[in-house]
Amino acid sequence: MEIILLFGLVIGLMLIGVPIAISLGLSSMIFLLIYSDGSLASIAQTLFSAFDGHYTLLAIPFFILASSFMSTGGVARRIIRFAIACVGHFSGGLAIASVFACMMFAALSGSSPATVVAIGSIVIAGMRQVGYTKEFAAGVICNAGTLGILIPPSIVMVVYAAATDVSVGRMFLAGVFPGLLAGFMLMLGIYVYAKIKGLPSQPFAGIREILSAGKEAFWGLFLIIIILGGIYGGVFTPTEAAAVAAMYAFFIANFVYRDMGPLKTVEGQANLSIIQKPSAIISAWFHEDTRKTLFEAGKLTIMLLFIIANALILKHVLTEERIPQVITEAMLAAGFGPIMFLIVVNIILLIGGQFMEPSGLLIIVAPLVFPIAIELGIDPIHLGIIMVVNMEIGMITPPVGLNLFVTAGVARMSVTDVVKAALPWVSIMFVFLILVTYVPVISTWLPTQLMGPEIITR
Amino acid sequence: MTSKPTLFTDTIEETFIAVTLGLMTVITFANVVARYIFNSNILWGLEVTVFLFAWLVLIGCSYGVKKSFHIGVDVLVNSVPAGLKRIFTLLACIACLSFAVLLFIGAWNYWGPFAGVRPLPVLYNDLIASPLGLAEIEYRWRDQSFYETDDVPVPLINAWLSETFNYGERYEKLPRFIPYFALPLGMGLLLFRVLQASLRIFKGEQDLLIAGHEAEEMLEEAIAGDGEAK
Repeated sequence: MEIILLFGLVIGLMLIGVPIAISLGLSSMIFLLIYSDGSLASIAQTLFSAFDGHYTLLAIPFFILASSFMSTGGVARRIIRFAIACVGHFSGGLAIASVFACMMFAALSGSSPATVVAIGSIVIAGMRQVGYTKEFAAGVICNAGTLGILIPPSIVMVVYAAATDVSVGRMFLAGVFPGLLAGFMLMLGIYVYAKIKGLPSQPFAGIREILSAGKEAFWGLFLIIIILGGIYGGVFTPTEAAAVAAMYAFFIANFVYRDMGPLKTVEGQANLSIIQKPSAIISAWFHEDTRKTLFEAGKLTIMLLFIIANALILKHVLTEERIPQVITEAMLAAGFGPIMFLIVVNIILLIGGQFMEPSGLLIIVAPLVFPIAIELGIDPIHLGIIMVVNMEIGMITPPVGLNLFVTAGVARMSVTDVVKAALPWVSIMFVFLILVTYVPVISTWLPTQLMGPEIITR
Repeated sequence: MTSKPTLFTDTIEETFIAVTLGLMTVITFANVVARYIFNSNILWGLEVTVFLFAWLVLIGCSYGVKKSFHIGVDVLVNSVPAGLKRIFTLLACIACLSFAVLLFIGAWNYWGPFAGVRPLPVLYNDLIASPLGLAEIEYRWRDQSFYETDDVPVPLINAWLSETFNYGERYEKLPRFIPYFALPLGMGLLLFRVLQASLRIFKGEQDLLIAGHEAEEMLEEAIAGDGEAK
């Protein structure tokens, strides 16, 4: 009973416009003061230990920083150019290339709305120029943008790993195949649609263009290799990998791409080379652009971590009241099998994912469903991927999926039109969700191959 | 794009955020370099990074209230009539104020013992209840100012720190109350910013406490950029 009150309070506060973080924190505090003898000081302690006690979460600011250096307009343009060179010559090629570009950009940035804005603001206009309808363009981008949280490195996966103590490396690896599969399914859907509707294709740009565009995009995409390679090669911990990636992104942005920093010149002119202005090696560190990027990344970190820290207070309350155990027993007593249980998880997350920031939702739901999943013999990594995919789809399901609103802004359409436009592609994502939920091997094969079978301790 | 004149306090807060994140990155990176190139390691690196992380978020969240970049659910409040929206938002302000007050009390009570500073209930007993003969609150605490961090060395001010907080006994490592100070400071600032934001909303100068999603600013820029191009 009390627990319904607690969640009712959280949702009620959120709906009247209290920031998510404060809704979570305040509800837990009220609950703790009424029903348990916890002190305010212990809540403050929990808040501090969100940083002090969760080394894994430390990777998040660094991933955000790396993607801030990398998600400037320049990188998005290079990736799109490479994508068009590779797949533009198929029917509906520009749309397929947009999905491909979203997949690559998703690997650099960890956020879905950011992917929609960065890629969408460029390609939607491009697709309209070659005669695709606005609805088609918006629908494709809206869906492909959600790949941001599935393709590693993903902040949401780091949060899941921190909440359930599974390995971040395993989660990242587990996301690779589902990410590729989702992208491939979307591309296939577009291809079929384009064949039926007779959508135009681009002329084949030639191997030379692929190579030259590929070389341009390579520096950015190498970031993924550093992160994944570094973690699996055992060179760094995930947190260190993120910090190294941030430093790498800083160097590439300032000295190779030169979209920012001291070597950047006014638009239209070639950027300076480092030889022309050697002082840049020093001045880049203190340049206004560097400060601004650090600040933007810091802002996002604060916003996200404040939610996570408050969600951890709620998690603390839940564990203290033994809520996960109660739910587990109730579900097992009701005779839930794995399939029924996964459907329940799907539904909870699809609804929750519409309203809430994925990381915050995950840190609350994961401890609730994790013990049940273990009891039912569901692989923790598999469960993690299911949760991530559910939240992806939550972001594009009407009425209030977040990506729908962002796409409406980018494509300058009404939300209702975007909902209609996205619907056929959302159904592809639903098929994908069912596949991922009931075919665990898609997620678990790669991590098991590379890191050995997982040891699950109950 | 029009650039608004930036306030002096904005500059301080923004620089604090940028420098803290920058330091975290550089220290962590330096530790990797130290391990692979110099075959050594910066012993205090991890602990300092973690503390900087806490400072970044706990101090930074007040700046988030000031600029209302904390995200929330704006679907309902944006679809009800204006009068109801105002009532909801004012209620939301009250919720945020209670959060900030409760957490400030908690933060002070948690931090206090580490610095040998009296927690609020004890302060109340000593300063108000006892002189006026009111009922005292029962609250047990002990001075924990001798608690130290694991690896962080003490900066130059050890003599002063030990004299002021540790009864003259020198600290071997940085005392814990210094990193923990982020709690009362951050929550105090948060309370202050929530008060300011509530006032702005009450006077009708601000609409909502929250942002709809994380890419809101980026989206505005993209749309503004489009407008210029056309």
